[in-house]
Parts: sequence; structure tokens; C-alpha cells
Amino acid sequence: MTSTQTRSSGVLNGLSRARRGVGLGGRSEHAPRPPRRFSTRSITLTLLVIPSVVLVVLIYGYPAIYSVFQSLHDGNLVEVGEFVGLENYRIVLHNPVFWQSVEFTILYCVVGVFGSWVVGLALALLLRKRMYGRSFLKTLLLLPWVVPVVVTATAWKWLVATPSSVVPRLAEDLGLGQLLFLDSPGLAKTIVIAYKIWLSFPFMMLMASAALAGVENDLYEAARVDGASSWQQFRRITLPLIARSTYISWILMFIFCIGDFQSIYLLTGGGPVSSTSTLVVLAYETVFGNFQTGPGVAIGIIMTVVSVLVSVVLFRRIKKVQIS
Amino acid sequence: MIALIVLIPVFVTVVLAFRPQLQSTSHSFFTLENFTYVFSQTQVLTWLRNSLIVTLATVVVAILVAAPAGYVLSRSRSKAISGYALMLFIAQSFPQIVSIVPLFVLFAKFNLVDNLFGLAILYVSITISVATWMMAAYFDTIPVALEEAAWIDGCSLFGGFVRIVLRNSLPGVLSTAIFAFLLAWSDFLIAVVFLRSDTNFTLPIGLQTFFSTNSTEWGYVMAVSVVVLVPPVIVFSFLNRYFSIGGIGGSLAGH
Repeated sequence: MTSTQTRSSGVLNGLSRARRGVGLGGRSEHAPRPPRRFSTRSITLTLLVIPSVVLVVLIYGYPAIYSVFQSLHDGNLVEVGEFVGLENYRIVLHNPVFWQSVEFTILYCVVGVFGSWVVGLALALLLRKRMYGRSFLKTLLLLPWVVPVVVTATAWKWLVATPSSVVPRLAEDLGLGQLLFLDSPGLAKTIVIAYKIWLSFPFMMLMASAALAGVENDLYEAARVDGASSWQQFRRITLPLIARSTYISWILMFIFCIGDFQSIYLLTGGGPVSSTSTLVVLAYETVFGNFQTGPGVAIGIIMTVVSVLVSVVLFRRIKKVQIS
Repeated sequence: MIALIVLIPVFVTVVLAFRPQLQSTSHSFFTLENFTYVFSQTQVLTWLRNSLIVTLATVVVAILVAAPAGYVLSRSRSKAISGYALMLFIAQSFPQIVSIVPLFVLFAKFNLVDNLFGLAILYVSITISVATWMMAAYFDTIPVALEEAAWIDGCSLFGGFVRIVLRNSLPGVLSTAIFAFLLAWSDFLIAVVFLRSDTNFTLPIGLQTFFSTNSTEWGYVMAVSVVVLVPPVIVFSFLNRYFSIGGIGGSLAGH
């Protein structure tokens, strides 16, 4: 055993970051850093993280570089092809379908994120109340997230697809006339977004529940004594206290929405007339449907740049959110 | 009440699976004929086996990779590790669709296309970010003092990680395992690109083969759907006591 092992090393911090107030130990955050050196300790730490780094570089880094390369060539899945510069990007940007997809992608992400957040938060608040069968109910409500998308998309399709399905028949009985859900662009968009919210609210509910669990009950007690209405309690206590977790759940959900291929593809295939096609679906169709690898990958690159920028900007903002 | 409305699509699936086909001779309200048909006439059992193999491999490897990385993320304050945390975050916001084409080319060189092992590698990589955050979030709740005591008793850093931290992290490990299981079990995009021959199909791809051009046999589709949904639901209902994903918020904000 070397002496370095008993001395505190710079790579270890105390419990300044441990949450839920577990124990106390270690150093304060302002402890001076010991001089850098290659101790067995830092070597071990490096070794522990290496498999993960290798995997990330291989599965994310390499494709990132290669796909930029692909987007500048007119190749296909097997051959590299000629260097064509920004030609693929020009093709994409001049395609009206691309802009239509951009529009729907924004709508899909915004409504998807906020819709699932509102539903998830409302249910998380409901589930705080002590009631009979609460944990059973919670498990049930997580089902949309647990049951694979292939299954639920199939069920949704069965419910709305043909004129003789359940929902269109209900609509007809209510005097709304013949509604062909997957044949009219407007209705198809509504269904696709509703399905996304249905898929995502359990995740948002879990995030919100975890955040709510950290809010002290005394605060509400005090507010009630001061005569605050329940809306005021929600606005002034709950929301500010869970703000940080809320922002994080928004970012994650945004990432899930913008990258979501399965739920749209399985429900509508991007139709009718690509009205429900987001950029992901369009990229897939371009590469694997029309065999235009260059333009398809270019769409993917444009999407990646935007989504990484948005997440990183939001992420930096969060770090500035101080819990007062 | 809310739960009932929310769960209609799931109920519909289960009910239809046990209902006779329209053209069938039996007129009972409940029948197993859809199941006997799909098990005897289609490759559902092969797909089920493939799905199980790929998913279990994914879960084991994901834990082996994410647990040590999560430990380092939770305990280390070095600049390099903060950079790595950001890298994980960017990786997570990287749409799969972009990497799938280059990976297809790469995997083709190593004969990993249409191969369950190749699929498992990809699944591990798509779960890696969230799995690492989940592990780190759990490790954050374990006092460093415990490890320090072990080091003073002559335990190495790695020994402390395995004997003290991991041993006390069963809920964290299980949460991560469940998460990886759900993702791998239900993936469609990667499987549809990488799997070519029907003996290698996983359940989600197998299910899609039932949607023929002219008429869909809903009874059979729903029967297969039930086969697809039962394992995750069973896993989840038994283990959901251990499941918590809310902690990743804290782990993300900490870096």
C-alpha cells in the first residue's frame, strides 16, 4: 500500500454533490487540489472509464466524421462516389418537402415536449395524494412507456385507420361526419402528435415525481398558514423548486422527439403525402427508400447540428439556474 | 378513470388477440386459435429467442460498461471527466438516423450486418449515455466516507468500487438494467436496417411482416403483439419498486 492511497486525491471529491442528504464525510468543496501526479488511483479511474469512451468514439465519433464525408459525395450505401462539394445540401434546401418537414418537426417537438410535460406533471401532482391503490395506478400509467412502440402503434392504427375502426365510427355517431384519420394531413398530424404525447408522458411523470419528492412539505404548511391558494402554492413554491429538473426533462424530451423515427414510421409511415414526415423520417426515406445517400445524410447532418446546438445552449442555461 | 382511458390501446391489443378471426368457424368470444396459429405457422418462437438473446446481452454489457464509467463520473472532478460528460450528452442528442448509414458500412466490413452480436453492440451504444447518468446518479447517493474507510483498511480503489459501492447499488443497477432492457427490446429502426434474413429477425421486425399489402390479419397481429408486450410488462411489474429514472436530472446538472 502506497502513501498516496491514504492521502486525499484530487480526483475524489467529498459529498458536495451527493443528493438526498446522505451522510457527511470527505472534504469541503474548497479543499486545495493536491499536485497532479500519476497515482495508481488516477490510472484505475482512467481504466474504468476507457471501455465507455472507446464505445462512444467508435459508435458516435466515427460515424459523425464519416457522414460529413458522405454528405459531400454523391455515393451510395456501398460506394463513396464523386466529390460534389455542397451539391447535396443545395438539393435538400431547394426541396419543398424538406421545408414542410422542418415545419412539422418544430410543431411535433414543441407540442410533444410541452404536451407530455403538462400531462406528466399533472399526473405526478395527482399521485402525490395518498389514495387507495396508488402504486398500482402508477405502474399502470407507466405502461405506454413500457410496452414496445411496435405494439402500441399497431393498436393505435387499429383504432383509427379504416372507416370501420372504432374511433371513426364514434366520430360518425357524434355527427362529425366521415373522418378518415390517416388520409387527411391535418388529422394525421393530430394523431401522430397525440400518440407521441401518450408515449412520452410516463417519462415526464417519473422525472416530475422525483423532483416533487424533494420539495419539503413544511413549505406548503407555511404557505397555507399565510393564506396562499393552491394555485399560488403551485406557482410560487412547486414550479420554482422543480425548475431545474423541469428544464432537464424538456431537453431530454426534445432530444427524444427530434430523433424519434419509430413512432411516426410505424403509425403513418410519414404519410399522407409526407405530411407527418419529420426530418428523421425524411432522412430515412431519402437514404433507404430513394437510395439518395448523399442528400439523405445531408438532412441528417443539418438536423444533428441544430439539435446539438439547441441542447448545448439549453444545457448551459440550466447550469446558471440557481436554486434560491 | 384516467388510467382506463390511457390504457385503451393496450387493452384493445390483448382483447383482440383472444378474439376469433372474422372468417373463423368458431363463434366463441374467447379463443386461443390466433396463438396456436402464430406459434405453429410462423417463426414467432425464433424471433422471441433472438429478442431474448440480444436484449440480455445488451443488458449485461451495458451494466459492465456504464457502472465503472458512472462511478468515475460520480467521484471524479477532473476537467477531462467533465468533458467526457459533455461528450455523452452530445452523443445522446445525436440522431440515430445519422450514424446508422456509416455504421452500416463499417459493420458490413466486419460481417456484423444481419448478425445478432452486431445488433447488441449497437444497442449497448444507444443506451450508454442514459445508463451512465443513471449509475452516476445512484452512486452520488453513496457516501464517500464508506470507501475512504475501506481504503484505510488497505482496499484498492477498484476493490472499494466493487465491494463497497456496487454491492450497495442494487437498485441503481436494476434501474439501469430495466432501462437497457426496454430500449433493446422495443427498438425498431436499428433492427430494420441491420437485419436482413428472417431467421435473425427480432420480434418488432417479425411483427411488421404481418402487415401485408392487401389485408391485415388483425387477430394474428395482436397475438404476436401480446408475445412482444408480455416480457417487458412482467419484468417491469416485478422490478418497478427498484426503478427510478428521476435521478438523472441531478446527475446531469452536476456536471
